[in-house]
Amino acid sequence: MENNLRVLICDDSILIRKKLRETLEMFGCKEILEAENGNVAVEVVKASNPDLILMDIVMPDKDGIEALKEIKELQPNAKVVMASSVGTNDLLKSAIKNGAYDFIQKPISHDAVQNILTKVLKEGSVNV
Amino acid sequence: MFSQYFGHYLLNHELITREQLADVLEYQKSVHVKFGVIAVDEDFMTPSQVEEVHEKQKQVDKRFGEIAIELGYLSDDQVEVLISKQKQKHLFLAQALVDRGYMTIEQFSQALNQYKKENSLSDDQFEELKSGSIEALVENLLVDDHKSIYGKYVTLFAKNVIRFIDDQVHLEVSNAEVVQQDKWLVHQEILGESPLFTAITANEEVFLHIASKHAEEELTEVDELAKASVSEFLNLTNGIYLVNMSNWGVELNMKPQAISENAKVSGELTCIKVHTSFGSFQLLLSNQPNNISIVSSGSELLV
Repeated sequence: MENNLRVLICDDSILIRKKLRETLEMFGCKEILEAENGNVAVEVVKASNPDLILMDIVMPDKDGIEALKEIKELQPNAKVVMASSVGTNDLLKSAIKNGAYDFIQKPISHDAVQNILTKVLKEGSVNV
Repeated sequence: MFSQYFGHYLLNHELITREQLADVLEYQKSVHVKFGVIAVDEDFMTPSQVEEVHEKQKQVDKRFGEIAIELGYLSDDQVEVLISKQKQKHLFLAQALVDRGYMTIEQFSQALNQYKKENSLSDDQFEELKSGSIEALVENLLVDDHKSIYGKYVTLFAKNVIRFIDDQVHLEVSNAEVVQQDKWLVHQEILGESPLFTAITANEEVFLHIASKHAEEELTEVDELAKASVSEFLNLTNGIYLVNMSNWGVELNMKPQAISENAKVSGELTCIKVHTSFGSFQLLLSNQPNNISIVSSGSELLV
């Protein structure tokens, strides 16, 4: 499943970033970027405009919902997938309202990542 | 999980030794529960009838059920019931104890009845416990006041420990006035109409075990990865708790988790000792997070 996707992982947990990186590498993503909180993620988006962003919600400094809002203002077409252990109705509504592309419940399975990658690639905005 | 509970009950009542308990908990993994043990547990047969069938089995190559039917001790329907019950986990402990010669079937059966009596359990509650229902175990563990406050959380926590960390778990509410201070403390606060302070404390060795199990890789020092692993385990549990509560109509949020070394926690806390096959750690809970203080490296942090 070699692809040209450039993916940003934003999560305060070094373990989650490591596991997600391994999964994305396994699925052949071209470039994997990392951010440990929402502030860093916004800066990475400004500098690199990744094809896909996997965004945790509960994080110190700037949480995932705040980062989502800022990223959508900067890049209205950005595909931000919220990846969190907290899939409550309130958070899901807030994520959808602010333009999240999708939601993945933690712990993140390979299948969930594969489904997202397939969906992004299918939409054809990215070179496979 | 009932095996761990009942095993500790037997230990606390000096019916078996600590070494015997460790031995049977290990041994029961490989045990195939025999019909005779279940037949007595179900009150279908007496221990002496089981012995008689066992003696017959030494003479003829027949199954236990066949002989018991021939002798008029079991009906066809009862044999069907026994087949379906054969996989019930609490019986693995009974079989292991009997196989190792630490208890007879009769002694086990008596102890089980005594446990039921001491815990004022109805037949239904007891059946639920024996079938390994974690809800029933937690219900039995917490005092009345704490059931409504912490019951759902402790049940979920126990399930997650079994799913992600270790399947040989035994929980115990600690009555100690002062919380035992462990080297590592991971905590996270849940905010909203039912706030909750949650924390895991562990010594270095157990902390590394939890970290390694959850990360699914061998971690040998408490580095950033190990800290992230234990933190993420608590975060994951709390995330699921928030989803469960949301489904019950209670919307909650949570702060990012934090980790401290050699910190002292104080306040109105409920401490649950979590015993696993690799050692024990503590789960600390409080429905008054504002009153919890964590003193770490000389500075006091109010949560």
